[in-house]
Amino acid sequence: MSTQLPDQVEEESTETDAEPTAAPQERRLASKRDRAGEADRRRQAEEADKALDDDTYHLKVFRYDPEIAGKKEPRFDDFHVPFEKGMTVLDALMYARDTYDSSLTFRHSCRQAVCGSDAMFVNGQQRLCCKTQLSDLEAPVRIEPLPHAEVVKDLVVDMQHFYDQMEAVEPYFQTNDYPDGELEEQRQTPENREKVKMSTRCIWCGACMSSCNVAAGDNEYLGPAAINKAYRFTMDEREGEEMKQQRLKILEQEHGVWRCQTQFSCTEVCPKDIPLTEHIQEIKREAVKNNLKFW
Amino acid sequence: MSQSYDRGLVEDFGRWREFTAGMWAWIFHKFTGWVLVGYLFTHIAVLSTALQSPDAYTTTIQSLESLLVVRILEVGLLAVAVFHILNGLRLLFVDLGVGLESQDKSFYASLVLTGAIVVASVPTFLAGVFG
Amino acid sequence: MAERYSSFKVGGRRWLWQRITAAFLVAVLAFHFFLLHFVNHADEVTFGMSQGRMQELTYFSLMILFLLTATFHGVNGVYNALVNQGLSGTQETAVKAVLGVASIVLIVQGVRTALAWAGGVPI
Repeated sequence: MSTQLPDQVEEESTETDAEPTAAPQERRLASKRDRAGEADRRRQAEEADKALDDDTYHLKVFRYDPEIAGKKEPRFDDFHVPFEKGMTVLDALMYARDTYDSSLTFRHSCRQAVCGSDAMFVNGQQRLCCKTQLSDLEAPVRIEPLPHAEVVKDLVVDMQHFYDQMEAVEPYFQTNDYPDGELEEQRQTPENREKVKMSTRCIWCGACMSSCNVAAGDNEYLGPAAINKAYRFTMDEREGEEMKQQRLKILEQEHGVWRCQTQFSCTEVCPKDIPLTEHIQEIKREAVKNNLKFW
Repeated sequence: MSQSYDRGLVEDFGRWREFTAGMWAWIFHKFTGWVLVGYLFTHIAVLSTALQSPDAYTTTIQSLESLLVVRILEVGLLAVAVFHILNGLRLLFVDLGVGLESQDKSFYASLVLTGAIVVASVPTFLAGVFG
Repeated sequence: MAERYSSFKVGGRRWLWQRITAAFLVAVLAFHFFLLHFVNHADEVTFGMSQGRMQELTYFSLMILFLLTATFHGVNGVYNALVNQGLSGTQETAVKAVLGVASIVLIVQGVRTALAWAGGVPI
């Protein structure tokens, strides 16, 4: 790419030198031809660059195994993985494991961003490996387990605390507000469904919790995923008023929603694009309004 | 989260470089907040020289204001206060659920505006100190 | 039902007050800076001029309110920052006490100074 620039400048200057008196239309057409040619050349050069550089991808992978004497000290292993178009970070990790080192350990299951098993810290950001294209990343690609969680082995972290926080908000539908008629369905309006739609997309991958600066410091903070889960049910009209009060009671504790500092880290890393901060803010306002009513 | 295996630098690798706008805004807001609350206490302490005698107050303030260091610190204080005000407004909007999609842009805007206001105020803040 | 709502969770009330004081302080702090650096100049401050302003009830009460809100906003902000870092238990109680005493000292000292200028509450 770098060789392109001087050429371009040269061409432009000869162009203007050669036809100072040419008719405006001719000049426009000439420069148009020039631009088209330039784009062609640039594309070719880029493809050639790719073929050279992306031949193999350099991965630096965090390794740690407390059970084996020689591996107790954390270190980074290098893997050079042959690149294929469309390759994700997870594909690369699987290639490395299957080809070079079968002891490389990481969680994965569905490989299509549904199960939420393979959130990791890739090039300094929490990402879901199966939906992160290698070609979007700068080499060497540095892969680490999620920060602010205990490492069990290699890229596997202990998710128990995350699951505990999720359980704490009672992440399931519950109601005592039944419709009249024994066989009547519990219907939800399209508008209400639309309201909770994004919040239902959570796959419990834990990327948001790991990215949250406050959750890292405050063990009791519910964290973005749990609050989003609570939002999904609090805002669901079918649960009824009494249930809503019960849910708000959990959320408005000292270490509930109030700890959120609107850093937007969770919203940035969420692989399902859930507007987490927006949901947390809405719960805060809901809690305040709820309590102001009786003042 | 739970007590983590101490990964030391590994844990924080690349973190500050990867920080997004919202995170920087939080860091700056927190830093300026600490500075402002620290200044509040100092401010009241200096002003309370007025309790001794009117003259003590006037001489204290005027001798402080004749120092170039104090004037430069005042420009710093202005920068800190203006940023805290502008980013505070941004946070109030975030709390009201307004413009959450452009929270990064509003952060950059508050930075730029802070810079502009501070630069424009430098002459007023340093006036007379060299004379 | 009323009792249930009367237990407005402390976190929420402080969160709301932090925002209310913020909105007030944005305006008053900007005014304060403008008045004392642009309208009047910092190097020309004298006891007499401060006295002149403070003897007006509007200005006096605005400054007292400024002191109260700024102290709350600042001290509550510090407390929040520490809780966010995971402060809890005895340490939290100790910090609460220290911050509480500091705020009282600050407010008392501030009010005394204001009264010294105004020579009593200007009514």
